[in-house]
Amino acid sequence: MKNIVSVKQVFKNYTLGTFVVPALRGVSLDVEEGEFLAIAGPSGSGKTTLLNLIGCVDTPTEGTVQVAGNPTNVMSDRQLTRLRLHTIGFIFQSFNLVSVLSVFQNIELPLLLQRSAAAKERRSRVEALLDRVGIREYENHRPSELSGGQRQRVAIARALVTRPQLVLADEPTANLDSVTGTNILDLMKELNRTEKTTFIFSTHDARVWAYASSVVRLADGQLIDRVSAEEAVRVGGVGGLPKSTTTAGVRTT
Amino acid sequence: MRGYLDTLKVIVVIAFRNLFASWLKTLIVGGIILFGSMLVVVGTALVDSVDASMSRSIIGSVAGHIQVYNATSKDELAVMGSFQMEGADLAQIDDFAAMRNAIMTVPNVKDVVPMGLSGAMVPAGNTVDVMLERLRDLVRRQQAGQDVKTAIESQKDHVRQIVGVLSADFSNIGKIFNEKAVSADELEAVRRASAPDFWTEFDKDPLGSLEFLENRIAPLASDADMLFLRYVGTDLAAFSRSFDRMKIVDGNTIPPGKRGFLFSKWVYEQQVKLKTAHRLDDLRDAIVKRGKTIAKDPDLQRMVKLNTGEVKEIMLQLDNQQVTLFRDKLQKEIGSQETDVSRLLSAFFRVDDGNIMRRYQFFYDQLAPSLTLYRVRVGDTLTIKAFTRSGYVQSVNLRVYGTFAFEGLEDSHLAGELNLMDMVSFRELYGFSTPERDKEIQAIKASAGLKDIDRDKVESELFGGGADENSADNNEKPAGIVDAETALRGLAGRAKLVKRENEAYDPAQLQQGVVLNGAVIVKDPRLIRQTMADIEAAGKKAGLTLKAIDWQKASGLVGQFVTMIRAVLYISVLIIFAVALVIINNALVMATLERMAEIGTLRAVGAQRRFLLGMLVVEALAVGGLFGGIGSALGAGIVAILRAVGIPAYNDIFYFFFSGPRLHPGLSVTNVAIALAIVLVVSAMSSIYPGILAMRVSPRQAMQSDE
Repeated sequence: MKNIVSVKQVFKNYTLGTFVVPALRGVSLDVEEGEFLAIAGPSGSGKTTLLNLIGCVDTPTEGTVQVAGNPTNVMSDRQLTRLRLHTIGFIFQSFNLVSVLSVFQNIELPLLLQRSAAAKERRSRVEALLDRVGIREYENHRPSELSGGQRQRVAIARALVTRPQLVLADEPTANLDSVTGTNILDLMKELNRTEKTTFIFSTHDARVWAYASSVVRLADGQLIDRVSAEEAVRVGGVGGLPKSTTTAGVRTT
Repeated sequence: MRGYLDTLKVIVVIAFRNLFASWLKTLIVGGIILFGSMLVVVGTALVDSVDASMSRSIIGSVAGHIQVYNATSKDELAVMGSFQMEGADLAQIDDFAAMRNAIMTVPNVKDVVPMGLSGAMVPAGNTVDVMLERLRDLVRRQQAGQDVKTAIESQKDHVRQIVGVLSADFSNIGKIFNEKAVSADELEAVRRASAPDFWTEFDKDPLGSLEFLENRIAPLASDADMLFLRYVGTDLAAFSRSFDRMKIVDGNTIPPGKRGFLFSKWVYEQQVKLKTAHRLDDLRDAIVKRGKTIAKDPDLQRMVKLNTGEVKEIMLQLDNQQVTLFRDKLQKEIGSQETDVSRLLSAFFRVDDGNIMRRYQFFYDQLAPSLTLYRVRVGDTLTIKAFTRSGYVQSVNLRVYGTFAFEGLEDSHLAGELNLMDMVSFRELYGFSTPERDKEIQAIKASAGLKDIDRDKVESELFGGGADENSADNNEKPAGIVDAETALRGLAGRAKLVKRENEAYDPAQLQQGVVLNGAVIVKDPRLIRQTMADIEAAGKKAGLTLKAIDWQKASGLVGQFVTMIRAVLYISVLIIFAVALVIINNALVMATLERMAEIGTLRAVGAQRRFLLGMLVVEALAVGGLFGGIGSALGAGIVAILRAVGIPAYNDIFYFFFSGPRLHPGLSVTNVAIALAIVLVVSAMSSIYPGILAMRVSPRQAMQSDE
């Protein structure tokens, strides 16, 4: 299979005043098309930073990140934005829907930004996704009128509406109860299977690992290992990972 | 295209959401914008309307569209609102015909009216002089054998009545101050003229008695005022053709080829009319036209007080019969038993808001017919004494043909301060030569045996000695020697009052000879700037140094008024919109900071930076457009109401600015367009900084937030 993501010896430092705080320290990772990859690790381990780099919302201090064959460290902000718009879908922990727009408009938004699809096509694609994530009857509702699970479904639909090659989900179940979280994961897995969309999600929830094709484990900004979902579950959740050596000031959010 | 519209729709939806989300902030910002745009619409509409009205007033009264004068002049030309009696010091233009011909080659020029502005003090004569002149006339007629005995007796009575008034005046002055306040000579003269003997002896030596009265009594009557008149010498026919608002109010215009004077009706009312009557007119106008009351207005109270104290002007006009008549009428009207007519008149003029209208009517119905309301009447001869440019006094007698006013500007002193006279008389008063004067000088020269001599040969001509051996280095003019013509002109000017009132002149003279300036009427007023340049160029081509100025500049300070008002308006608008800009900017900055997560999300899902900038610009423009639109509409409504109702001119200055008693402002598309343009530019500008902030938001912000 072809790699959709290729991370080579990536370092990422953040500067806080006069302090330089390392968030990632020499991480390398390849993700094949169609994978359903979980990035696991305790808080401060660098999960979100890695996801940011893969999602082109940040650039590495050192090393290279390639997304769908594009070397992000040499691309302009404009190019990176275009890459995000056309290649990557985002699902956020806090759903991040635009509160003033209806469910339909929220899902349609990336298509409007792309300006490639006609209104009719946009409508059919949005409606198909509404059906797919099971919130058709809420298409005219505002996000504030929906439950957490329903909002996350909207977010998933928005992430998929541009038919991206890659969907990044940052702690997608963190703000959901277990039943809803399971439903959302079922949905994502199904979409992964049927649409062949690559999913990379960060989580420290061991229940989620069971859905993953493989689990990358991070600690203190370093990649510990990459194991199968079964192995990750067997090792035993977060507790099974090496104890965090996090020092004060390390930031992974 | 459709995609752009849909994207814009999303941007608009998001922008409006933000406005509603912080509605109080939106209302405050909107309120300022609303007020600002309303001010711009109303303000610019008013200023434009005043500008248009004023230009009508100025162009239509005396300035024309363009004024042309000699570029080498010391002063700048100001045809209106000048505080100089004599007007600006302008270099002459020797030949109006050459100037006119040059200017008329400019295609946009319709007509050129020759002009010269100057001013003079004119003795208007006092009542005693007038009465004595009448008496002298009657005496002459009697000596010529006419039977005018009754008329002479009546006129004598009148003069005695006047002497009585003066005598009473002197006695009052003596009481208030002391005897020394009045000179012994004056007192003696009055005593002599009051004595019955003087009048019984009158018929024995009427001319001697008249001389005494004229020399010793007349100067004591202090009602003689000098009239300060500013006048324009012009070609009357061309003037009335070019300034079609000019209309004759009393009498007629000066016939072609005749010398004469036309009073401006405003000057005629203000300066020539009996003061008490004029104040009564002013009181009535202030109450009727401007809704003022005597009780509340100190100015009107002052006028009433002046009227009660200045009845002598009327008293001097009354003979014995009229005194009795006035006594009866006034006693009845004011219900008083007072027998002293001057006291009755004082009481009559002590008007209040309750009786002013009745007294006004009574004055004009019952008293005025017995009075000479105007010191100079149409048909009278006016002696105008003016300083010529070279400094000597020149006098010309001119017949007053009538009064004129500019339609719609009757009450405006700015439009009414200038009187008119024929150009030929003007030239003479100003010290320019005229064919008549040249003829006169030639005659004097001939009779005195004078001849023109060359300046270089003056010595040899005077002292003999053949050719001047030093002529090569003797070109300087000897000190104190002036040429004969100047000397004679000066002498003639000092020595002689030129009685020209009945003289005619060749109308062709109007088109030739000296002028100071010319009013140019154009065909298309929109091309004034270009026409001015063309006129100067045409002058240059014809060897003339012409300077063209537009009506605004020609009207002096008056013309700058609109520019000043416009500046005040624009400064106010600038301040309001500067405040609006800061407030909108702050509101948007706060809104941007509150929406970092949302902006980050938009960036993360693929919104380019310009999308965010657009979002904020649209947000600012939405507030600006909405409230600016409402403000402009309200402004337009206010202008429409003002147009229907009219803004009253509170005084004669506004009368001029409004080109009439009321201003009915008009609204143009430009007024609204300017308001909206300012609002939109300010709104867009105020979104620049928040836009920059938004563009700096990293998509990482999306990953850090809670909803």
